Amino acid sequence: MNNQSSAFQPAQNPDGLALGTGPIPAKPYYCPEYFDLEREAIFRRSWLQVGHVCELLQPGDFIRREIEVLGASILIMRHKDGSLRAFHNACPHRGTQIVKEEGGRKSRFSCPYHMWTFGTDGALISAPDFDKFYVEKADCGLKAIDVDVCGGMIFVNLDKRPERQSLRQYLGEDFAEKIDASIFSRVTHFHEYTYEIAANWKLTYDNFQENYHLRFIHPKSGAAASGKDNPFGYPIDYGFHGQHRTQSIWSNPEPEITPTQSLAFGRAMQFAAQDGVDQGVGTKQYFALFPNIFMFCSAIQPFSHTVYPIAANQSRGVIRVYWIGPDDSASKRFAREYLMATARDIHAEDRNVIEAGQRGLSSGALDHIHFMEQEVLCRHLMTQVSNAVEAYKEEIEQ
Amino acid sequence: MSAVLPQGFEALEPYVGHWAAESIAVRAELRGTSNIAERTAFYDVAAPLAVSALDYLDTRAMAHFDASDKRLMELMLSFAHVSIAIEIQREDEEAHALARNSMRITFEPSGRVFD
Repeated sequence: MNNQSSAFQPAQNPDGLALGTGPIPAKPYYCPEYFDLEREAIFRRSWLQVGHVCELLQPGDFIRREIEVLGASILIMRHKDGSLRAFHNACPHRGTQIVKEEGGRKSRFSCPYHMWTFGTDGALISAPDFDKFYVEKADCGLKAIDVDVCGGMIFVNLDKRPERQSLRQYLGEDFAEKIDASIFSRVTHFHEYTYEIAANWKLTYDNFQENYHLRFIHPKSGAAASGKDNPFGYPIDYGFHGQHRTQSIWSNPEPEITPTQSLAFGRAMQFAAQDGVDQGVGTKQYFALFPNIFMFCSAIQPFSHTVYPIAANQSRGVIRVYWIGPDDSASKRFAREYLMATARDIHAEDRNVIEAGQRGLSSGALDHIHFMEQEVLCRHLMTQVSNAVEAYKEEIEQ
Repeated sequence: MSAVLPQGFEALEPYVGHWAAESIAVRAELRGTSNIAERTAFYDVAAPLAVSALDYLDTRAMAHFDASDKRLMELMLSFAHVSIAIEIQREDEEAHALARNSMRITFEPSGRVFD
């Protein structure tokens, strides 16, 4: 239920309590061996978000994405039949990475080493002096990767096992329908900012799925997210969908708004109304998709945040604030740049304190950490990670 | 020779040289590298004109902005950044600027942002 009343009560969820209340082992947040297990148990087997369909509108549009945890460079492209295709950025001849650009539009992709040339379906079109090879062209296409879309977001899956799930199986049909119905299915443009952080991907991600820290780390930039009835800005409710989770973000009914906030928010709300975006209850849903992306379904400032693991104590964050339609008026451009800048202000405040947490954990000082009732989404993530890692360990020990 | 800024916004002309920047990355950086006197002087003149400036620019198609319209737009976009420093971060702005440096702006709605 999303109904807000002035007598706010922190969300209680029996499913959350079923996750337990005990301390959480600290080692998974800094141990390189645990990170290696996560790589195989989770990231090589999960659907990973790598982009949005608004980046690939025309045949030949392509993006290159690096998935550091897997050492993989991925090409995602729009084929002339309209379908999305994903491939390893590796020439089947001798492995050379074919594409250096981060994105663009091409009908053919040539390896710089020996000019093997591929189409947007990955097929080898031509290769110099190919009759001197001992293979058929049909066997020399780019290595394909599973790719699919939900809520406009592009996901890839590098799992090679025959029992791998489809994206909708992975998300669950009900949850996938919620994501499809969200504003992210309608967005067409975005601002993006990125950061590198000396912290474990879970520690980084957890910061953004609990509000306990808001009043301490964001006393100014996050002031509108808390109020006298809800001084910590706790959410209205939590939901659990297999490995994934949701929360409904509370809004202060009487926020203190500065003059320029009023101008930017006011114009942004007018544009949202013109676009038919629901600005009532349900517009501040937070979808956390296992393992490493969340989507914040604000009517005027919808954004996604993906935390890409690099090492046990190193990650990379990509934050995108999405928009419906181009900047076609001065007010729209002003409101969007203002809203992007406010989101960036808040995220900038988080980075230092997350790194401080990593330093404390990496010192090995702690055997356990503790999650309270309102950090249940962090507990849920760690439970899913632990379940996946333990299952993988059993599997390889058999 | 066209005016520096559209009629009615002459009070902003002294700020064009410093604050009218084409790139979003530069506008964000200008906020972070300016001092409080520079930010406050610009804010005090721009804030009372912001609504009328946007209303004026909204009457014109962005693709057909002349040079003075374009400068006014760029000033308003820099004002968006500066207003956050003045109205929200206040005395914390200098320290906050250091933290923001780690958040690199890489895309805007018109495409990739180049530093």
